[in-house]
Amino acid sequence: MARLTVEHVARIEGHGNITVNVESGEVREVRMDVVEPARFFESMVVGRRYDEAPLITSRICGICSPNHVVTSIKAIEAALGVEVSERTVMLRKLLVYGSYLQNHATHLYILAAPDYVGLPSVFPLAETMPEVVERALRLKKLGNDLTTAVGGRQVHPVSAVVGGFTSEPPREVLASYRDLLLGVVEDAMATVELFASFQVPDFQTSGEMLALTADDDYAIYDGDTKALDAGWRRPASEYRSFLDETVVGHSNAKHSTVGGRPLLVGSVARANINAHMLNETGRAALAKSGVTLVTRNPFHMNVLQAVELADASARCAGYVEKLLEMGGSSAPEPVAVRAGVGGSATEAPRGTLYHSYEIGADGVVLHGDVITPTAQNLANIEADMRAFAPTVADRDEPEFAVLIEELVRSYDPCLSCSVH
Amino acid sequence: MAPRVVVLSLASDFGCQVQLSNMTDEILDVLGLIDLSYWQLASSGHMPDAYDVAIVEGAVTTDEHVALLESVRATAGVVIAIGACANTGGIPGLANLLDLDERYGVVYGDGDGPRVAAGRRAPMPLDSVIAVDYHVPGCPIDPPEFLRVLSRVLLGLKNRVPDLTMCASCKINETVCFFDRGELCLGLVTRAGCGARCPSLNRPCTGCRGIAPDANLVAARAISIASGRPEGALDDALRIYNTAKEVRG
Repeated sequence: MARLTVEHVARIEGHGNITVNVESGEVREVRMDVVEPARFFESMVVGRRYDEAPLITSRICGICSPNHVVTSIKAIEAALGVEVSERTVMLRKLLVYGSYLQNHATHLYILAAPDYVGLPSVFPLAETMPEVVERALRLKKLGNDLTTAVGGRQVHPVSAVVGGFTSEPPREVLASYRDLLLGVVEDAMATVELFASFQVPDFQTSGEMLALTADDDYAIYDGDTKALDAGWRRPASEYRSFLDETVVGHSNAKHSTVGGRPLLVGSVARANINAHMLNETGRAALAKSGVTLVTRNPFHMNVLQAVELADASARCAGYVEKLLEMGGSSAPEPVAVRAGVGGSATEAPRGTLYHSYEIGADGVVLHGDVITPTAQNLANIEADMRAFAPTVADRDEPEFAVLIEELVRSYDPCLSCSVH
Repeated sequence: MAPRVVVLSLASDFGCQVQLSNMTDEILDVLGLIDLSYWQLASSGHMPDAYDVAIVEGAVTTDEHVALLESVRATAGVVIAIGACANTGGIPGLANLLDLDERYGVVYGDGDGPRVAAGRRAPMPLDSVIAVDYHVPGCPIDPPEFLRVLSRVLLGLKNRVPDLTMCASCKINETVCFFDRGELCLGLVTRAGCGARCPSLNRPCTGCRGIAPDANLVAARAISIASGRPEGALDDALRIYNTAKEVRG
């Protein structure tokens, strides 16, 4: 028999409780109660001017706010028919990747790693393995600094607005990031090696996998949604036609399904679907990771986030190079207010994020809709716990608990996002 | 003995806690000065029965939050409210503008909805429930300001929140006034302390630090109208961060 109740699971973003109850090999109960209170964002944007919506929805999440801002802005631009410059697109990609570097470093070192070294937090490692903590802080700091340079602040970017950017970093500041980014490739590789060295359970999820995909990039900023098993590829803006949301009693976050199946979004789905778009550094990192694609193991989310760190460091150095060469302007394009509906998606660190808005002829938001990555993952997290728990039910209690929590943390859940 | 510190969150986006974790250059020094007893975001472990300092993020939105805050107040010698949600009700406070059940319906439809959402209340700042000793406003908090406040706590100095409006900061920064270009800026009435970060990035102040105690709202409304904004535009913009305070009066 194995029972587990964890209230306010530690080292995840937001408040959630886990209940697992296995009796003589049979699962009696599995629940992930998302007790994070709803803030009702979809109702809060109604009646606000279109340009205020990104400011408001950014506050859904403090960890991936650049994603919320950029996704919201893109959806509004789609509704209003605003085309932005190539320079603006490139800067937005850097902004989103800044949050990747920051998030992946935080998730891997501060939230996930303590499980694998048997510590309550990463802080004691500052004494025993200072080089690991210093590496974590270097990666995190670079992500923060990049986000700040491009967006004006680490959390809740300031300068990204509908149509472009209100200000840009000076050329010499931008140029300095080329070397800073290339400088952390080694740290990212060491992160891959560290996480490849951690033993993870051999477990297969049964969920569908969805990620954005694009023909010209490892899709983060834009693209179509692709389903790994079903094989289809559809415009991300039509997400309501393939994602179904259900209200469940034990969670303030709704659960999502695709074609009636739970689904997984995040680094495993992205790597499975888009590995061919990884750059040279990313491919080298993947080779070091010990993961063979296609993988259905959700515990591989960690090491594949580390692979993305390596890919992103080199990729962003390339974006900086292009920005220095390309010229052009990121000043906000003029907006002609009109009635319209628009939807958009980006890949947030923990999976695909969708926003859509209906805007009235006076520029006021009539309807807003957001589906976050963790909301998409929740049904699958429960399905995974249900399938995984009996396989480790014979372990002693603390080990059972750590394994279940490790599984949940692999998804890098953001419960504030999931409820919003 | 180093003060025992807990970090707690109510309804929020965790952004201010992320900012705490973002103090990459200072975090190890800070940890050397305090006994970090509970921080759900960064460490496993249970909330202790005794502690000295509580750092609280988020708005009060449920009966559970009220009970938690009351127990925090009874236990901690010092309560620090961090971020707009905790200090003014912030963006969650916008939910005060519509009937709560109506908002619930917009999000969860007409069915029963989640059981765990029971006991919800109109979103309010911490000082609607308990006395708060130190304030770090902003959405999100500015790490240097947090460190200044934490230093005051550790040294036993009194709470001190800047009471000037943002305009003073723009003067120092030599930022051209948005009203001169016919754009509404809430810096006119918003509490200073962030160095006018947004205006210096060419974006008008959105009022995340709350209304300054000496703000002249009557004059600000007149300036807004004189600059070509419709009547009510200033108050409407202020609602994004200040609705809960406005509703409470």
